[in-house]
Amino acid sequence: MEQNYIKKAIECIILVSEKPVSSKELIEVFPDLDKEELKRCLDELIYEWNELSRGFKLYEVAGGYQFRTLSDYSEIIIKFKQSKPFRLSRAALEVLAIIAYRQPITRIEIDQIRGVDSSGVIGLLLDKRLIEMRGRKEVIGRPFLYGTTEEFLQTFGLKSLKDLPTLKELEEIQKSMEESAKVY
Amino acid sequence: MASPEPCLVRLETFEGPLDLLLHLIKKNEINIYDIPIAIITEQYLEYLNMMRELNIEIAGDYLVMAAELGLIKSRMLLPKPEPEKEEEEDPRAELVRRLVEYQRYKDAAERLVNFEILERDVFARVGQDKEEQKNQTIKADLWSLIEAFREVCRRMDSSWTDIIRFALETITLDDKIRELISKLRECRTVLFDELFNGSASRFDIVITFLAVLELIKAGVLGAFQDSPYAPIQIVYMGEGVIKDH
Repeated sequence: MEQNYIKKAIECIILVSEKPVSSKELIEVFPDLDKEELKRCLDELIYEWNELSRGFKLYEVAGGYQFRTLSDYSEIIIKFKQSKPFRLSRAALEVLAIIAYRQPITRIEIDQIRGVDSSGVIGLLLDKRLIEMRGRKEVIGRPFLYGTTEEFLQTFGLKSLKDLPTLKELEEIQKSMEESAKVY
Repeated sequence: MASPEPCLVRLETFEGPLDLLLHLIKKNEINIYDIPIAIITEQYLEYLNMMRELNIEIAGDYLVMAAELGLIKSRMLLPKPEPEKEEEEDPRAELVRRLVEYQRYKDAAERLVNFEILERDVFARVGQDKEEQKNQTIKADLWSLIEAFREVCRRMDSSWTDIIRFALETITLDDKIRELISKLRECRTVLFDELFNGSASRFDIVITFLAVLELIKAGVLGAFQDSPYAPIQIVYMGEGVIKDH
């Protein structure tokens, strides 16, 4: 198959898909294509769509590729869809951040970090499928372990968990807290 | 610019005792590694009193922290032991460690919220089913199902209070599962109550309910309702997951 044809076929697949399309799924459709060729096609597609500077772009998210609108048009899209924009409470964001960086983690461990009970928030995050149970920890009481889902990566537009910004080092926090503290 | 509106006092809500402590530390412009425990404890307790006056229920976690602060305060007052033990740990050390750790994740949460979030800043194609489910229905949880089941039982009980049956029950759970699958495959959606319309006995109701639970667990069926306490609809989701029935 001609290179140009394949590239356009790939963007068609991505366009009609309701989830990010992974390279693995694409290889199944184009068995003759080797990994490097495919990667090159996808890189070119990302570049070309970016160059066109349209209202949407091709993004790499959650281990796949997806067309997404630019944030400049969010208000209009929300108006059109008459949808409620995605929102999480501060507590939910805190718990989600703790789980994202410390997974797999138990509820008790989360509670210890926050100094407050988190079970309600965990239920909400499970409902929203941002987190999932990952089995049990082999300690007394065998508590559930929680981890983030693929939907978490999709929601926050991350390629993978490695894409999470590194946690601030303790010294950095100390510095930022000291900055806010006036020197007598 | 003077505004004619009355002055609104907004009481900040805190996510817990650590959050409140961090707020006090920032407000007082204190170095976290040298917290004046007496001052902070006093302010912390003042805050709890204010919450009490406003009739806000104070979670136990806040009281535990108050006790902890008191303990640290008293330890700070104790005369230092003889210098035979090198480097006695600062009584505040453990608390500081927890505060810094918590601050770390608060920062991380703040950064998360600034990402380009799907369905808030950026949008992608959404499946038809997903969109509909989101707009119209919520997933019925186990307790709603059990509640609905109790209701079915109650109705049945009052309709045959004095009929006693001695029929041999021959239908098995597997039979029922198969029956439900073929029924739902055809009509796709059915009201939970309707599943029991043909049920002749209590045994039949129970086995139908068990079959529904099994199938929901396997992902073949889903239970949805338009709003909490609304009638539960049983929806056929597909049989990709199980093959052996």
